[in-house]
Amino acid sequence: MQSTSFLTEIGLSHYLVLSALLFVMGVATVLLRRNLIVILMGVELMLNAVNISFIAFSKYNDRVEGQLMVFFVMTIAAAEAAVGLAIAVSIFKRFKEVNIRFFEHLKG
Amino acid sequence: MGKDTLEIAINGLKLVLIFLMMVQAVPILVWLERRGSAFIQNRFGPNRVGPLGLLQLLADAVKFLTKEDFYPRTAVKTLFYLAPVFALIPATLAFCAIPMSTPIQVAAFDAFGSSWGPYVFKIQGFDISVGIVYILGMSSLAAYTILMAGWGSGSKYSLLGALRASAQTISYELALGLSIVGVILLYGTFDLTSMIQAQEGALHFQMMGQTVTSQFLPNWGFFYQPLGAVLFFAATFAESNRLPFDLAEGEAELVAGFHTEYGGFKMLMFFIGEYGHMMVASGLFAAFYLGGYALPIPSWNPAAVLHWSTELLGSKESGSVLAAIIHFLSFNIKFGLLLWIFIWVRWTLPRFRYDQLMDLGWKTMLPWSLANAMITAVGVYLASVAMV
Amino acid sequence: MADVIVFWFLALVTVGSGLAVVLLPNPIYCALCLAMTMVGVSALFVTLGAYFIAGVQLIVYAGAVLVLFTMVLMLFDLKSETNAFSRGVITGAIKVACAGVLSGLIAGAIVMTLGQRSSVVSPLAEKSAIDSTKALGKLLFQENVFAFEALGVLLLVIAVGTVSLARSKGGTHAKH
Repeated sequence: MQSTSFLTEIGLSHYLVLSALLFVMGVATVLLRRNLIVILMGVELMLNAVNISFIAFSKYNDRVEGQLMVFFVMTIAAAEAAVGLAIAVSIFKRFKEVNIRFFEHLKG
Repeated sequence: MGKDTLEIAINGLKLVLIFLMMVQAVPILVWLERRGSAFIQNRFGPNRVGPLGLLQLLADAVKFLTKEDFYPRTAVKTLFYLAPVFALIPATLAFCAIPMSTPIQVAAFDAFGSSWGPYVFKIQGFDISVGIVYILGMSSLAAYTILMAGWGSGSKYSLLGALRASAQTISYELALGLSIVGVILLYGTFDLTSMIQAQEGALHFQMMGQTVTSQFLPNWGFFYQPLGAVLFFAATFAESNRLPFDLAEGEAELVAGFHTEYGGFKMLMFFIGEYGHMMVASGLFAAFYLGGYALPIPSWNPAAVLHWSTELLGSKESGSVLAAIIHFLSFNIKFGLLLWIFIWVRWTLPRFRYDQLMDLGWKTMLPWSLANAMITAVGVYLASVAMV
Repeated sequence: MADVIVFWFLALVTVGSGLAVVLLPNPIYCALCLAMTMVGVSALFVTLGAYFIAGVQLIVYAGAVLVLFTMVLMLFDLKSETNAFSRGVITGAIKVACAGVLSGLIAGAIVMTLGQRSSVVSPLAEKSAIDSTKALGKLLFQENVFAFEALGVLLLVIAVGTVSLARSKGGTHAKH
């Protein structure tokens, strides 16, 4: 009976593990990829993973504050994406390249 | 067990029926568009196949199905083939959340050795309590289809058309969302059904503790939110990429925009997607501003119609079916009129220039819809103060 | 039973498309897969009863932020990338560490849920979507109204900054 309960009873820990998996994928994207925009997407993935655990905690503790935090995280993520993309666009205009290898030296 | 199974089966069937309804409406709309444009431009239009050219649609469908299936040499094959399929999904899923009639009641009955029911079936794909947010979210996914088609075609015209179209969609989504804020504030709900229920009865205003009631006009959102209604309707034109906002496919500059490289049935699927967006927009407009499925005469509200049909047919269940049919017809008349306005405008107004389009979206419609939301908020606050 | 199937399906979709974001060399496929992850996360929010947040997730992330990413990538038009992944000793170590953390998480999760059944907390009473949205609204506009206004200021600053960044030709590196 115990072996099936893992598959058939969805609890808080399932959502937390899913969130952790997505977070690790986001970290891996940031660390391993070389395309500036894909790195930004990794950051978005991490933020989303955190959002899942916020909402899961909010549901299982019956508090609305978790949803509020997600609301704020989303706004800040949108702002961060906008600035990140603007920087990426101006880098692309200057170097014709978005591979981070090409502008790791901090000089023009 | 059996009870749930039947309910799930009926709900699945409803989804299929609504999808089929949407797809079936497209040939009729295409016919209406071609005959209507011919009427507006003083020509005949399609009139050879069948009476009034009605069978032209069948001939077109056969033509589309038998065309050669090709893809350009530079295309990215996966995206090129996926894009038309994805074009159908957002509009269909969004349309499912629009309530089209009053619910049908089915009494408890015995069949196959077990008892079933009683059931209440809503004439709506699925009842989601935050319907408005859901529909907006679903229709914002349409931008991916356009981008996938544009980039996947591997052609400059397609890519430029796709970038224009998605920039336009994102820009006008702001004005669209903000123009709805007024309605949400007014009725205090995200639920489309309760919004329609709030529009029942006669038009009445409450001011300074007095109530002014009109005998003839229904209590529709349009009379409270005229500016919001106009802004919403204009923004939906841009959302569904129709003239005067069809910069995405400006023939003179871009051949046909993001679907330049598509032909045959793939092209038809983009058409169905576009008409699907028009249908979602019309259904939403009817629900927000025209009382949804309710009849336009104040004393004939849904409850009164249900009462009348119950008395006429003798039983509650058959009465609810008759009422549902009446309301469905009423919804379809409003729906059809709005779709006709879409076609009418397309053949009447010329296309904007791209900078004019962006100026209109960001510098005119966005401030006006903000002002509308602001004024509505103040009005709702004053009304609530006067009530207490 | 239906909610269990839905959860596993959504977990499969989000994890699968998340892995695709890490592994696919073409950035455009990465962006499209990330969009799919976002839609899956939004559906997960629905299973958790956060209907309004699910809709906002769909509008903000899937509908706006990732469309921007995709648009920018398509404008750059990098059809194939030769060096999509970093190479070298340090990144090799990072790869091993990532794989280790991932497998450790999965193994730990299975052991934890198999060993302690009490860790499966039963969800509290279902609240209607209208009530939870109403509570969120009250919290947002009454108790945390300062944070809300601060976010508004942040967005204004971001808008101005983005426009000025995008309009400048080559930013601070501009050639004279």
